[in-house]
Amino acid sequence: MTKLFDLQLVFSSIPELLKYLPTTLFLTVIAAIIGLLLGLVIAVIRMKNIPVLSQLAVAFVSVMRGTPIIVQLYISYFGIPILLQYINYYRGTEYNINAIPGIVFAMVALGLNQSAFDSETIRAALQSVDKGQIEAAKSLGMSNGQVLRRIILPEAITVALPSLGNSLIALIKGTSLAFTCSVVEITAAGKILAGRNYRFFESYCSLAIIYWVLTFALEKVVAAIEKRLQVPEQPRQVKERDAILSKM
Amino acid sequence: MSLVEIRGLSKKYGDNVVLDKVDLDIEQGEVVAIIGPSGTGKSTLLRCLNLLEKPEEGTVKFDGVSFDLTKRNKKDTLALRQYTEMVFQQFNLFRQKTALENVMEGLRVVKKCSKSEAEKIALDELEKVGMSDRLYHYPRHLSGGQQQRVAIARALAMNPTLLLMDEPTSALDPELVSEVLVTIRKAAEDGNTILLVTHEMSFVKSVANKIVFLENGKIVEYGTPRDIFENPSSERLKEFLAHINMLEGAEYVI
Ligand SMILES: Nc1ncnc2c1ncn2[C@@H]1O[C@H](COP(=O)(O)OP(=O)(O)OP(=O)(O)O)[C@@H](O)[C@H]1O
Ligand SMILES: [Mg+2]
Repeated sequence: MTKLFDLQLVFSSIPELLKYLPTTLFLTVIAAIIGLLLGLVIAVIRMKNIPVLSQLAVAFVSVMRGTPIIVQLYISYFGIPILLQYINYYRGTEYNINAIPGIVFAMVALGLNQSAFDSETIRAALQSVDKGQIEAAKSLGMSNGQVLRRIILPEAITVALPSLGNSLIALIKGTSLAFTCSVVEITAAGKILAGRNYRFFESYCSLAIIYWVLTFALEKVVAAIEKRLQVPEQPRQVKERDAILSKM
Repeated sequence: MSLVEIRGLSKKYGDNVVLDKVDLDIEQGEVVAIIGPSGTGKSTLLRCLNLLEKPEEGTVKFDGVSFDLTKRNKKDTLALRQYTEMVFQQFNLFRQKTALENVMEGLRVVKKCSKSEAEKIALDELEKVGMSDRLYHYPRHLSGGQQQRVAIARALAMNPTLLLMDEPTSALDPELVSEVLVTIRKAAEDGNTILLVTHEMSFVKSVANKIVFLENGKIVEYGTPRDIFENPSSERLKEFLAHINMLEGAEYVI
């Protein structure tokens, strides 16, 4: 009888799978950036209550949160080509739909999905900055842009960071569904590999290890950034040199 | 010509008339105190002067430069705000910045001072309010009184034509009030022109040059502390003073 479980294979196939890690990371980073930027735009639209756009934003967020990510990936994969065909037909353009790599559809779907979740986080964080500080900054004569950059964002980021970190971890795991858009990232690579030697269980164990190490490292990084941005527990004392400086 | 000339300042919230054609002149170096019952528009008056509230009518002249308070384009608003600084009841220090950074912020971002120049001015102002030993403390590390002193330093560092103070001691524990009052008195003695809302009557008596008694959005009485406290002419002011005297328990010794 062949071995029921080949532990060695679990580790020995990791290097093979890691060759596809750049695809996973690339997909994650681009979707995260789309998610943050669009999320910020949606948050601002909703906070300023811009007519029409605000209602559209609410509907968009509701649909994105109310449908499974795998369905969104399929819709992106089949929907965007149809959309482009319409555009080609009505505007006489000649976009080559087959030339678009699958990863683009995955980026769009995952990015839009992220933006829906991030927008809520960003909105809550921006609104958590107390009005008094904003009034103080305006009284000093800062423009709206300066108030946003110097006062609101630094504090909002510390508030949003834990949630954004969680959503990034969810995104990394979400990229494992990108096979629906015929993207070969590590999960798809694991399946292909297993298809050759029928060692599916070992292959999925290898994947589990990779994802876990990845998200574990990410959690640590987010925690470290959080610590850096936080106001320290204890104040730094004024040293003699500073005291002399202040007497000058 | 006075240093500050307020004319026809009017502000409504819906049908509620909060300020009704207020005129007020403030001379260079004067401390003008606004007193009056709660909800009569004292805060609103201050906040209209730097356009944190938008009045329906009114002009203000700082140092001969006239501003229409109903014109609200960004450029005029920012220009107007150069002439005033505000000290708030709740201090409103920037939470993510140290005491030193709080004072440097306006100098760097608005006045575009170099880092060393801003630092020099900030250290100087923090020294004046007695906070040199807590330069790197964040607001959460400071008591209310200390926060308010930093806030005063932040305002004075910008060298405003008029310093606006809205109940600067009202949010403080009683034992912290006097350190802030001492700081304000010092700012007055240094020649700063101040428009101050407060309920600290004994402080007003000894520090203010002029007192405005505001009620229902109108200046009911205006005069020196002597005029106001010893010869109040209107019934309303007499009632108000009687009420205040009853409530005012401790007098803070400075
Ligand atoms: N944002 C607002 N919307 C509607 N009404 C307001 C608003 N702000 C203030 N008011 C009203 O304006 C009036 C004046 O308020 P203001 O804060 O200027 O009073 P105040 O004299 O400073 O009172 P206090 O001594 O309690 O601070 C009050 O009747 C208040 O209810
Ligand atoms: Mg008030």
